[in-house]
Amino acid sequence: MSTFDVPIGPMHPALPEPLLLKLELEGETVVGVDFDVSYMHRGIEKLLETKTYFQGLPLVERICGICNAAHGLCYTLNVEKLYDKEIPPRAQYLRLVVEELSRIHSHLLWLGIAAFEIGFNTMFMYTWRDREAVMDMLEAITGNRVTTEYSQIGGVRRDIPPNLADKLLKTMDIVEERTKYYVKVALTERTIAKRTQGVGYLSPEEAKATCAVGPVLRASGVKNDIRADDPYAAHSDVPFNVITYDTCDVFARIVVRAQELFECVNMIRTALKNLPEGPYRVKLPMKPNAGEALTRVEAPRGELFHYTLSEGALKPYRYKVRTPTLANLGALRAMLTSKGRYVVNIGDVPISYGSIDPCICCTARVHFVDLKKGKSWVWTIDELRERSKRGRLLP
Amino acid sequence: MSFEQYVVETLKTVVFPGFVFIFFLSLFYEWFDRKFYARLQNRVGPLYTGFYGLLQPLADFIKLLSKEDIVPKKVDQLLFTMTPLFTLALSIFATLLLPISSNQGVVSFNGDVIVSILILTFICITVFYAGLSTYNRYAVIGAERLFLQMIGYEIPLTLSVVGVALNAQSLLLSDIVLSQERWWYILGPQALGFIVFVFAAQAELERIPFDLPEAEQEIIAGWNIDYSGRRLAMFRLARNIELVFLCGLAATFFLGGPLGPTIEGYTPILYTLYFVIKSLFVLAVLTVVRALFARLRIDQVESFCWKYLLPLALFQFVLVRLIL
Repeated sequence: MSTFDVPIGPMHPALPEPLLLKLELEGETVVGVDFDVSYMHRGIEKLLETKTYFQGLPLVERICGICNAAHGLCYTLNVEKLYDKEIPPRAQYLRLVVEELSRIHSHLLWLGIAAFEIGFNTMFMYTWRDREAVMDMLEAITGNRVTTEYSQIGGVRRDIPPNLADKLLKTMDIVEERTKYYVKVALTERTIAKRTQGVGYLSPEEAKATCAVGPVLRASGVKNDIRADDPYAAHSDVPFNVITYDTCDVFARIVVRAQELFECVNMIRTALKNLPEGPYRVKLPMKPNAGEALTRVEAPRGELFHYTLSEGALKPYRYKVRTPTLANLGALRAMLTSKGRYVVNIGDVPISYGSIDPCICCTARVHFVDLKKGKSWVWTIDELRERSKRGRLLP
Repeated sequence: MSFEQYVVETLKTVVFPGFVFIFFLSLFYEWFDRKFYARLQNRVGPLYTGFYGLLQPLADFIKLLSKEDIVPKKVDQLLFTMTPLFTLALSIFATLLLPISSNQGVVSFNGDVIVSILILTFICITVFYAGLSTYNRYAVIGAERLFLQMIGYEIPLTLSVVGVALNAQSLLLSDIVLSQERWWYILGPQALGFIVFVFAAQAELERIPFDLPEAEQEIIAGWNIDYSGRRLAMFRLARNIELVFLCGLAATFFLGGPLGPTIEGYTPILYTLYFVIKSLFVLAVLTVVRALFARLRIDQVESFCWKYLLPLALFQFVLVRLIL
């Protein structure tokens, strides 16, 4: 049987962001897949080098609109490592509250998108309606719905007063009740089960080999969560469970994210109950010490890396961000490859793609193009290291 | 035929219950479908154009007509132009068979039950050619899915109608209507047939969970990806009229058609009213189905049709045979 190529993207209704999936089809079956993410370059890392540490925060928050709390938190934690100052415990707790709140909003948003990818528009509308409650609380706490900039270098920007804490607890009750309903729908509705069970299979070995992170990795039965492995904001004092599931498919990813919602609700409750007294921010000088810092944060989509190299000046010498979507793209290829009994249909592509909760705009990729020869290629990290020793990048 | 009879027949075909009435009815049905679907999803739906957005489908239709007419270079010109016209013509002709203002359609002849099913197949085939004529990859996948889907739902659809025709001992739509004067078929064993018919109609109309030929997230717009402007307007109108036709057909077969208590002298108006109410009930069922499910995959559509719909239709058929 002859095959034919079908491009999905870079402009496609199922993909809100530019990614090109080159599918090779045999009838309705996907036999080959290749992808290209280099449609978006925003130069944020370079821009950060031109701004002071305190000016950089609003820019970092704009790397990703949805997991902005994680980016802001990762940035502040990273910069704070360059100072030798203790951050007040109240700030740690408040950071945790807002981070978990944004995780709830991200997971609810994803649940809606996943339903949309399989054509279940009703669930999409309902989850996004209930996400509004969370967005309103984010607005009440931080003053902004999306780019919250709550976490600041040295603490947080505002305190949560007791009356707002009560309101937040009430919202958590609503969120928990609605989430229970969505979990019931997602687990019992026949058409959802049909479209997600056994789809986008990623075995634990493959997940580890392709360096998958976050809910995708946990849905393959691997217990890995930065909040538990490397606590960064009061996570050691607020107990929670790391959710894993063992069916390794899209259904498992739905279950993991849905169960994490309950954990988030419980964490916010515990944190608000045990909120320590004291200041919520300390003043830090404009210039940090020289040195380098590396921070990992569990963003809603998975492990997020921030790295900075400081010369003790006002501005960072180098700043580097690695977002979870880039780490999960390798896993996506494994999901879209037919293996043995498991066959990828073209109808499975949008939901498999959606199941990694992609955010292509956050993702950076090195791709070399020689315009004169009309060639393009990619170098591995070892090759790059070799070339950097020799001091030249082009062949 | 005298001149007056001629005028009356022409008016019947062109104005009521023919083309003009069906045109506005189809726009009203689209509005009802959109509004009800939106309310089920906790949205407001069409709101600003006319009373509660009642004129929104008409506005959309006019807007599409006034858009630029784009014909891609590589398409098959003849098929690309003819298929929208054929689809529209077929669906309009189909509605002339429906008994709306009396127990008889504008066109009525022995065997019109078979013709009504046949037209549905013809519409499917023209749409298939519409997809193929553009040579677009997405359109070809959509057209192929359309045919695969048709193989699945066509036989259960026909079988569910056979049960009704068997009970009425006739292949004439007006006889089927008249035989339901005392007892609607949906209240008997044909209730199973009604369920089969509703799902098959959903597949015929390419609505969720069977909207694979134009699945937005997978193949963008499927078979109608290259159509725009007037041609797309014609396809959309044809779809709406087909919606009226299928809802009306379900009302005719299972809900007693336009029959109901009448007052002397107002019979056609009341009959039309009953017809609209009954077919709106069918439309409401279709919309609820559309809101409740996720889209199936093509292999799942096939297995659903062959594993569940066909045995159900056969069971209904056997049940009707036993009772007779």
